[in-house]
Amino acid sequence: MVEEQDKLLPVANVGRIMKKILPPTAKISKEAKETIQECASEFISFVTGEASDKCHKENRKTVNGDDICWALGSLGFDDYSQAIARYLHKHREFERVRASTAAASSSAALELEASDC
Amino acid sequence: MRQAGAYSGILSGGGVSGRTGPHLLPLARIKKIMKKSSVDVKMISGEAPLVFSKACELFIEELTKRSWNTTIQGKRRTLHKEDVASAVATTDVFDFLIDLVHPNASGDVDLDEEHVLEKK
Repeated sequence: MVEEQDKLLPVANVGRIMKKILPPTAKISKEAKETIQECASEFISFVTGEASDKCHKENRKTVNGDDICWALGSLGFDDYSQAIARYLHKHREFERVRASTAAASSSAALELEASDC
Repeated sequence: MRQAGAYSGILSGGGVSGRTGPHLLPLARIKKIMKKSSVDVKMISGEAPLVFSKACELFIEELTKRSWNTTIQGKRRTLHKEDVASAVATTDVFDFLIDLVHPNASGDVDLDEEHVLEKK
């Protein structure tokens, strides 16, 4: 039973996303939530399979964000693909800034320590 | 330490982002589902589950919106499983879900060829 749930996204999270997009007075049946929960998992498997195929053909071992972006476009989810491309770009930019800020502050901290001596 | 700016707009949850930031879907679970999708999936980059958390959000939103259209047409206020089935049937990109929402449907399209899970 636990194993089955491991293959699905938590229904509470799925429900929250659904509620966000619907009018406040809308109601959602438990069965509908569970159906969309299953669909979301199937979506992940479907897209991952396509991305993984590409990696396999190109002799790469790691499925990365760009592969998923490509797979989304390949399977007809063009809007998602574009949104994800923007998201990835911002994420990588953020990580770059974070890494350089961390490097800068740790070297500044080292300098402070050195000056205390 | 809060990092405002470019990143904070992306996450609907608001607040500070980060590896395990306030994403709407759990990254570890997404990673598990990805790994189970195929024996070929060996390694997954750190950003892949993150990308999927956003993609799934978009997917769930679209499927929900389309399902709700059917609900409204039926002059109802409760979204039912049948509304989801209807959204799947009327949206081309959701063809991969037909068997999931309509287990007894015998369509003209042979989905086995397209279904990546059927890889041998």
